[in-house]
Amino acid sequence: MKKISSNPRSAVSTIAVVAIVVVIIVVAAVGAYAAVGMNKTSTVTSVVTSGTTATVSTTAVSSVTNTVTSSVTSSVTNTVTSSITNTVTSTASSTVSISLTSTLPSETVLETGSSLLYPLFNLWAPAFNAQYSTVKITPASSGSGTGQSSAETGTVQIGGSDPYLTNAIQLTYPYILNIPVAVSAQQVDYNVPGLAASIHLNFTGQVLAAIYNGSITTWNNAQIKALQSASVAASLPSTTIIPVVRSDSSGDTSLFTYFLSQTNPGWSATIGYGNTVNWPKVNGEQSGTGNGGMVTTCEQYSGCISYIGVSYLVSATTGTPALGYAYLANKAGNFVNISKVNIQSAVNAVAPSTPADERISLEYAAGATSYPIVNFEYAMVSRNQNVTGMALTLRTLLEWAISPQYGNSATYLNQVNFVPLPASVVQLDLAQINEITGP
Amino acid sequence: MPKTPLTDQVYKYLTALLCCSAILFIFIIALVLIKYSYPSFAVWGLNFFTTTVWNPALNGNIIYKYGIAYMSGSSYGMLVFFFGTLASSGIAILLGVPTSLAIAIFLTQVAPRRIVAPISFLVELLAGIPSVVLGFWGLLVLGPFLLHSLEPAMSTYLGWIPLFSGHVYSYGFIASGLILALMIVPIVASISRDVMAQTPTELKEGAKALGSTNWEITRKVVLPYARTGIFGAVILGLGRALGETMAVAMVSGFAHYLPTSLYSAINTMAAEMALSLDGSFTDPSGMYVSALVELAVVLLVITMIVNVVARAFVKQGFVRSAEGVIRV
Repeated sequence: MKKISSNPRSAVSTIAVVAIVVVIIVVAAVGAYAAVGMNKTSTVTSVVTSGTTATVSTTAVSSVTNTVTSSVTSSVTNTVTSSITNTVTSTASSTVSISLTSTLPSETVLETGSSLLYPLFNLWAPAFNAQYSTVKITPASSGSGTGQSSAETGTVQIGGSDPYLTNAIQLTYPYILNIPVAVSAQQVDYNVPGLAASIHLNFTGQVLAAIYNGSITTWNNAQIKALQSASVAASLPSTTIIPVVRSDSSGDTSLFTYFLSQTNPGWSATIGYGNTVNWPKVNGEQSGTGNGGMVTTCEQYSGCISYIGVSYLVSATTGTPALGYAYLANKAGNFVNISKVNIQSAVNAVAPSTPADERISLEYAAGATSYPIVNFEYAMVSRNQNVTGMALTLRTLLEWAISPQYGNSATYLNQVNFVPLPASVVQLDLAQINEITGP
Repeated sequence: MPKTPLTDQVYKYLTALLCCSAILFIFIIALVLIKYSYPSFAVWGLNFFTTTVWNPALNGNIIYKYGIAYMSGSSYGMLVFFFGTLASSGIAILLGVPTSLAIAIFLTQVAPRRIVAPISFLVELLAGIPSVVLGFWGLLVLGPFLLHSLEPAMSTYLGWIPLFSGHVYSYGFIASGLILALMIVPIVASISRDVMAQTPTELKEGAKALGSTNWEITRKVVLPYARTGIFGAVILGLGRALGETMAVAMVSGFAHYLPTSLYSAINTMAAEMALSLDGSFTDPSGMYVSALVELAVVLLVITMIVNVVARAFVKQGFVRSAEGVIRV
């Protein structure tokens, strides 16, 4: 103490001198880094462009052989009221056979993103590791936006996302592949006093939009009653409707608002869709963080209505009080249940028109039994890998994930209520996966 | 001039260098914040501070103003978050400060010596609870309790007071205010206790000799003496409340409009940043990220000012009571 204070002026000048030197060094370093960084970016872009144009030549590197023996024909017959426990006898599983490489180099694959996809990746990671002991996968639940941006900047190898990249973002990052790995869906849940959770209310996109923009405020509103059977309509109470929205930015919000936009020109023009939207001001509107938060919030308020990912269907319908879930009007005008067969019909309706880059919405699909809020869960992967052996590892991992024998089997998908990819989509996936190249 | 040994030279420059790294870090943070928030500052200007519509319009088209990209139809106004931050912290001060002062007075003036240490320990332990744990408690226990018990009673019996009437909701103003109050009590109580303990015994004995009661000694000697320090402690608590993120994000109710009653949902600047960060990455124009960073700049400036003021007061409080020995 005394030593320093005996010569305060020299101490001050020492700090000042060192500070100035450090500032100069850092400024120079930052400048140099910025210059290098700029060069780096331009290199990446040029690599990317060449990568996109020269995809054919890259197939030689792949050590995996893919055989697609026949295209899918949907043999599933749906009844509108089929229950969620229905299991699909997928014709897809018998038509695609993927032979995987037997050994992989030692790698750690980082995955982050969609909280809806996370539980599935968490099931896949140990199973893949059991088959390929050299590869470790670290899944993280951080949100679709983080998944996208982490894949774009290369901080992770796989970014999980509910929505595919928008045109604007895809143009900025042309080297990112959007690879569907499973099919998810979303239900509309409610907590209406006096209504048994086993009774499914019917909803159209128009009525849901009217609830979420505040023009329908009570459960016994004539517009809601008009959609129900006479006995259900008579039992609807005069309770105020409490719409619940996601407080955190979420792919679920994007799916729900996209459905509202598809069914309502007015909603599309004023609110639109996105992970975060400017919700209309509704008196009493509540919010939940994450799908779990949506369930908790809805359980608290009698009169609530909310949109929740299908992996939470069981927890929503078995809580206290149990929440009911709706039958939604599809494009054909039928009210359909969120059953696996109905989700499958929606996918099968869109599958033939899926483009090569697989960026397509499955929502509000054609078909008498198609469930309207359905989506691909995407793995965002850069086609240019720079770590030795990583490209082969990623190709094998993704092929394993979409394979009906492994990752897309009922063993994993049934646990999260997801539906397997149809064979034609698996085929498109394989073509995209083969574009992943690197040393 | 005597030759200094090499070890002393190394010691001198090494410590100075590490000292500078901390200062430098603040500068780098400031530079990064300015760089990233610039597009938002430039495009939205004063509207950022005076409007309430926060709409990223993620499915719009990219348009340009002064060469800066943003989404058509988007609008960024921070007033809702600004108000929510100040109002929730205000409730926290209103509820937390009287409690903290009661704790400090009890510990320094009333409590028998042997229970002072355990009670102080327990109060300071409250500061060690991670905010996410408090938030979790707020989410699962406090929210439903407010919704089903406290707020209906307040609405029924106090409904004649403006702001106390209307629909009741679990998450919002009251939940955030209560959680924040819990968080600032340990800070305000422990600093106030330290300042009060500095009151010279001669003054208290003098007051006693003049026939003052214990309450009169506290009110007329101890509190006036410790006033500056207590004020500093309160401001320091305010700084904590303003910047708190996680606990508030969990119980604020995520409002995107100004509250209409005491039961309304709110949103704070820190909570908005935490909850929206993921979605901001899906904005192709990058404006959403920039607007969140501008929010961070505003919050940083507010908390910095509050902390500087608080430290000045607390320091002065100690200087005055301890004859020039600076303790803070």
